[in-house]
Amino acid sequence: MKPAFSLVFFTVSSGAGLGLLALAALVDLFAPGSLPAQALWRGALLGLALLAAGLTSSLLHLANPRNAWRSFARLRTSWLSREATAAGALFAVGAAYVLRVFGDGAGPVRVLLGLATCLLAWLVLVCTAMIYASLKPIRQWHTRWTPTNFLLLGHWSGAMLLAALACAYAPRAGAFFALATALGVAALAGKLAYWHAIGDAALAPTLERAIGVREGVHGPAPISVAHARLLDVGHSHGTFLTREFGFVLARRHAGALRVAVLALGFGLPLAWLVAGAARWQPAIAAAACCIIGLLVERWLFFAEARHTVRLYHGDPRT
Amino acid sequence: MTRAIPFDDHSRQQTKFTTCYMCACRCGIKVTLEDGKLRFIQGNRNHPVNQGAICAKGAAGIMKQYSPARLQQPLKRRPGSERGAGDFVAIGWDEALDMLTQRLARIRATDPTQLAFFTGRDQMQALSALWAAQFGTPNWAAHGGLCSVNMAVAGLYTIGYSFWEFGAPDWDHAKYFMLWGVAEDHSSNPLKLGLDKLKRRGAKFVSINPVRTGYSAIADEWIPIRPGTDGLLALAIVHVLLKRGLVDWEFLIRYSNAPWLVVQTPGMPGDGLFARDALGNPLIWDTVDRRCVDGNLPGIAPALLATVDLPDGRRAKTVFSLASERYLDDRYAPETVAAECGVDAQTIHRLALEMAQVAFNQAVELPIRWTDMHGRSHDRVVGRPVAMHAMRGISAHSNGFHTCRALHLLQMLLGALDGPGNFRARAPYPRRIPMRTLPENDPAVIFAPDTPLKRGTYGYPTAPEDLVIDAQGKPLRIDHAYSWQAPLAAHGVMHMVIANAVNRDPYPIDTLLLFMANMAWNSAMNTGETRAMLSRKGSDGEYLIPFVVVVDAFHSETVGFADLVLPDTTYLERYDAISLLDRPISDPDAAADAIRHPVVEPDRDVRPWQDVLVELASRLRFPVFTAADGSPRFKDYKDFVIHYEKAPGVGLLAGWRGKDGDQSLRGEPNPKQWEKYIENQGFFTYPWPENMRYYRYANKDYLEFAERHALFGTPPVQVVLQMYSEPLQKFRLAGQRLYDGPQPPELADCERLAKYFDPLPFWYPPLEGAQEHPGAGGGRTVAEAYPLHAITQRPMMLYHSWDGQNAWLRQIRSENSLYMNRGTARGLDLADGDWVWVESHHGRIRCLLKTMEGVEANTVWTWNAVGKQPGTWGLSPDASEATAGFLLNHLISELLPRGASDARRWANSDPVTGQAAWFDLRVRVRKCAPGEKGIFPVFAAAKPLPGDSGYRPRVWRYHT
Amino acid sequence: MKLGLLIDLDTCVGCHACAIACKEWNASSKVNGALSDYQPFGAEPSGVWFNRVRHYEVGDYPASKTINFPLSCMHCADADCVTVCPTGASYRRADGIVLVDQDKCMGCNLCAWACPYGARELDEVSGTMKKCTLCVDRIYDELLAPEDRQPACVLACPTRARLFGDFDDPESEVSRLAAERGGFGLLPELGYAPVNRYLPPRQPRPVLAEEDVRALLERGLASLASPVIRR
Repeated sequence: MKPAFSLVFFTVSSGAGLGLLALAALVDLFAPGSLPAQALWRGALLGLALLAAGLTSSLLHLANPRNAWRSFARLRTSWLSREATAAGALFAVGAAYVLRVFGDGAGPVRVLLGLATCLLAWLVLVCTAMIYASLKPIRQWHTRWTPTNFLLLGHWSGAMLLAALACAYAPRAGAFFALATALGVAALAGKLAYWHAIGDAALAPTLERAIGVREGVHGPAPISVAHARLLDVGHSHGTFLTREFGFVLARRHAGALRVAVLALGFGLPLAWLVAGAARWQPAIAAAACCIIGLLVERWLFFAEARHTVRLYHGDPRT
Repeated sequence: MTRAIPFDDHSRQQTKFTTCYMCACRCGIKVTLEDGKLRFIQGNRNHPVNQGAICAKGAAGIMKQYSPARLQQPLKRRPGSERGAGDFVAIGWDEALDMLTQRLARIRATDPTQLAFFTGRDQMQALSALWAAQFGTPNWAAHGGLCSVNMAVAGLYTIGYSFWEFGAPDWDHAKYFMLWGVAEDHSSNPLKLGLDKLKRRGAKFVSINPVRTGYSAIADEWIPIRPGTDGLLALAIVHVLLKRGLVDWEFLIRYSNAPWLVVQTPGMPGDGLFARDALGNPLIWDTVDRRCVDGNLPGIAPALLATVDLPDGRRAKTVFSLASERYLDDRYAPETVAAECGVDAQTIHRLALEMAQVAFNQAVELPIRWTDMHGRSHDRVVGRPVAMHAMRGISAHSNGFHTCRALHLLQMLLGALDGPGNFRARAPYPRRIPMRTLPENDPAVIFAPDTPLKRGTYGYPTAPEDLVIDAQGKPLRIDHAYSWQAPLAAHGVMHMVIANAVNRDPYPIDTLLLFMANMAWNSAMNTGETRAMLSRKGSDGEYLIPFVVVVDAFHSETVGFADLVLPDTTYLERYDAISLLDRPISDPDAAADAIRHPVVEPDRDVRPWQDVLVELASRLRFPVFTAADGSPRFKDYKDFVIHYEKAPGVGLLAGWRGKDGDQSLRGEPNPKQWEKYIENQGFFTYPWPENMRYYRYANKDYLEFAERHALFGTPPVQVVLQMYSEPLQKFRLAGQRLYDGPQPPELADCERLAKYFDPLPFWYPPLEGAQEHPGAGGGRTVAEAYPLHAITQRPMMLYHSWDGQNAWLRQIRSENSLYMNRGTARGLDLADGDWVWVESHHGRIRCLLKTMEGVEANTVWTWNAVGKQPGTWGLSPDASEATAGFLLNHLISELLPRGASDARRWANSDPVTGQAAWFDLRVRVRKCAPGEKGIFPVFAAAKPLPGDSGYRPRVWRYHT
Repeated sequence: MKLGLLIDLDTCVGCHACAIACKEWNASSKVNGALSDYQPFGAEPSGVWFNRVRHYEVGDYPASKTINFPLSCMHCADADCVTVCPTGASYRRADGIVLVDQDKCMGCNLCAWACPYGARELDEVSGTMKKCTLCVDRIYDELLAPEDRQPACVLACPTRARLFGDFDDPESEVSRLAAERGGFGLLPELGYAPVNRYLPPRQPRPVLAEEDVRALLERGLASLASPVIRR
């Protein structure tokens, strides 16, 4: 898939924002006081801001944005509609929550708002992930690891931001570090499992299957369909399909980029969490490093995805 | 939720019927216009040629009509600028026509041969040939000499009709169909419609072609043959059929000259000619009466195999005896030919048996009463339903004429000609073998000023006396057609014109007039040199071809070499007559012709070329075009079509003739004839009554009808199929110096005639490969030095060079690569995507390689004519046609390399017809060095023409 | 109702007539608006097409076969391109035709991602997705002659390799032929229930069976000793 930077940024930014929102709300719900209010509402506000930035970025991906307001129309079937609706609801609820926390409000309203914020944040994350995971023609996306990883990675990056906030405002950052570390390890495991899962090409559809022609195609001697090959794609230059789906990532580049993901997205931030000083400047740097690594991860998520239509363009398998 | 469907607003639309011209198929089209703009072009379902279908080219006509390649106005080369620089000034028609008329008048009044008028992919040869003959120059031909003359001449000298132009397979009854050397067109829609019918009916479709694309893709059996060896395959099949007795003996006796006696007096004049009685009738040996008898008589019992003593004492053998001796020889055994042609012996045996099985054991019987030439009535028509079609893969070789005759021989043995399920004739064919038309060859007439030719500009020589040569045996035509070098060049030899003109061989010319012929690019061999020759000057500083006129609708590469450009209309902007007198659109069951009429108005200063020709003819006072009082006889082309009569009652259009428009095929001119055609969707058909549909060469009702309606032109006599061609033998005798008449002055020509004018088909290796290769030392041949065959295929969606300009068609294909068999590539250490040098004895090119499975292992190929000169055809100079498209033409020379024993360099042509031997090309392929990439050669960009800013839109959203 | 196309791979010669007829019809059709062509006379011409013909080879030389393959919208019965569309621009009609409402599409590309066949192309100028409409503005246009109420591609095809009809009706020609000749949909395992069907290349019956050969050779031999034949 052509990695659209607007979408890469969108999912990473909103993922981080949603993770942060959910974690902040959870911390508020289950460990109240561990994070002062000023950190809490700033965190939640940052989460909403990151979500807003992401969604704005996603608008840039639209070829005809004047119809963007219609994206709520197909709640019943479309994950994108659901994401848009849930995000809309989250902005409302989240804003209310931020105000509540900002105003030092307490009580069941705050609890409910916090809970709703968390649940809605998860919902948006899942819906965003499902936009990709529900696409059957894209083998590398159509796996349960996709929503799993969106959730884990979102919470991992969100946790890094939360840890930075904790460094700046919280009396003790240790628990936040532990939380981040746990999420980081889980996210890393999820990422590695995902790469393993998509690496198995045995189940990938082949060009032979895509054109559906069966054994015994004629001639005086039987003609094997074992080797179907593209002879001519039907156009001398590119098309929308080749531009959108024809992206080819050289294996050695993929390897290098995966290493970058592991190092920037997980290795360095985890190392800091384990060994680093609990001050907000390195914390921000570590969070930034993590997010850069996740941008690469998301870019690879697109780049390594091979749409089934490539078979018709001559790929022997996806 | 479902929205209302927004339909077309038909109140703003108009429907018109005309004929497509995106290729030579001439399908009927229905054009929908909306507010005067083209909305939709579809096939006319009532039209006999395409029955509603339309191909990619036809459907893309809209983009042709609005192409930026359209010439806008007459142009003349800017005074002082160099020819070929493309520096033009726009002029008006008056100036253009005055300039041309003056020059033509001067030529005509001094030496008419100074005008060379050659037409390319046009469809109006009836008019242009007449025009040239009236002008008085013999130097006219259309493009057949570089296209398909081998098919035409082989057919017309053998069966009275031919593959491609004058016949079609019987799709309704054929049970076995063999397609020889047809890539993706020729013909286009009729072949496609037919193949579908065949397959539905369960007929077997065998395709003999080095490449498996297009039609061959859907063949039931693909025979990957080595280019140029189809004749071997055909004659090996003949060998098997003869050996096994799987021959339609009755057919041979009734319809062919197989039983005719051939004089056997080697070394003496008359050897190899038919034994004839005192009245000139060919003799046969009657096995019952045991004597020589007139072979035309009914009821005789001719022997097929016999060696006899004629009444005059000379020995004679039947044609069939000679044929049997030759084809039963081991030389043509499947086991012998297998390695040469690439088809294994088992397959050859099987193909022969399959054809025989279908022909003899799956015969078709139609309950149709018909009468043969002897007046005998038959209550049914029996067909031996093996059909064939053949074209360029046979034609474009220096052995194409004989290969095509070999196919006709095969058809004769199977009794598979013009019967149900066969390759059948299209009106006005079959005609006498050959037609009694001869090219003008009297120097007194040819060189006479202001005098039309008595005969026409083309014809069918039957003896050396018919050649167009002077008393010294030198050619009288600029293309050397009908000379000792190309005796049966019935379609001219257009690809030699420019070289001969520049070499003043046989004489210099003044004006070269080219219509719709891209001689400065893909229609030339040796493109670079041809372009140089067009602008070559003599030692006096003048151009060797003083004046070049190019007539075309579009900015082709050749336009740049003009001194005068006359812009033509597009096919949607003009009148045309697609005539039975020209290249008919008949099918076997109905005579047919058609018209074009304008459906859009030209938006630029162009004129239909036919109108210009009529105008020029009037100005120059050609007798046919001038009334008794000296005024023009015809107002314009439309008027010409209505009133011109080739013979009384016979005009260009056959429908709605007669004062009241109620006569068909023959009748007085009908002033309202155009209107009748337009009323009837632009075409006319004359369905043959059932009794006139089959075996027409021996069908009394048909032949008498044809004579009455001047389709045949002579008293109706049976057209006896010529397995043995006596005209060829006459030329051979001349070469053997045994002929009582003109003989070639030079020994080399004698030897060629003796070898190639064999009255029976035979196979010889294509000349280029067999030729000694000068640089290779010690007897090495071109084939050994250049082991691969290189050919082209015409893609289905691009008609020669004419569709690169088309915004839709070029999205499908705007560049080409060289295709090679994957296994072969591996053996040469080449891979898909490599840049390669492709070298021939003549030159080299660089291009991209692609590998595939479906190509014969010793063959490489590419799509024809995709490459363009930058800046031509309305394309931006960086168009991929110019930067990634390439021609094989640069590798092909019009002359073969000179062998040690050769008196001169021979033409890269068929020695019988002069047909350009494009597919004889031999190459070798090697990988480029690292860093060596991009196509080679490259050409400088053509300048935009006056009125063209060179601006091309980045985005186009065509809609009405 | 399941309107769709039957495409015969046995007779498709890859001429691209269908691709161009479609382009030509839809250039001025009001259903999708004009179709953009980029660099139409330039270095890299491309554009919006609803139907493309691709060419494949199967098998190894000399036993190779070339298959010409037109690909356009399959008008799937369970089309995910409809499911995923957030604005409701992509929708399926009761007659089975899947359309894109040009007034609603926001050009998010999601439907193109959901389509394995490459049926949808984004028009960069309008910013909307466009695709085969099964010539909905021909098949229902009562002002066209009945025989003309077919998709442009079907009318054009010179080998009659395309047929249009209702696959829900077992008596329709498309259903009959699909059943008779083993018509198949592409990638059914994805669960989209593509309606278009492809007919596989036919298996020809051999012309000569063993016993035929003997009889044929005997006949030939016998004919060599034929009685007199009169002209």
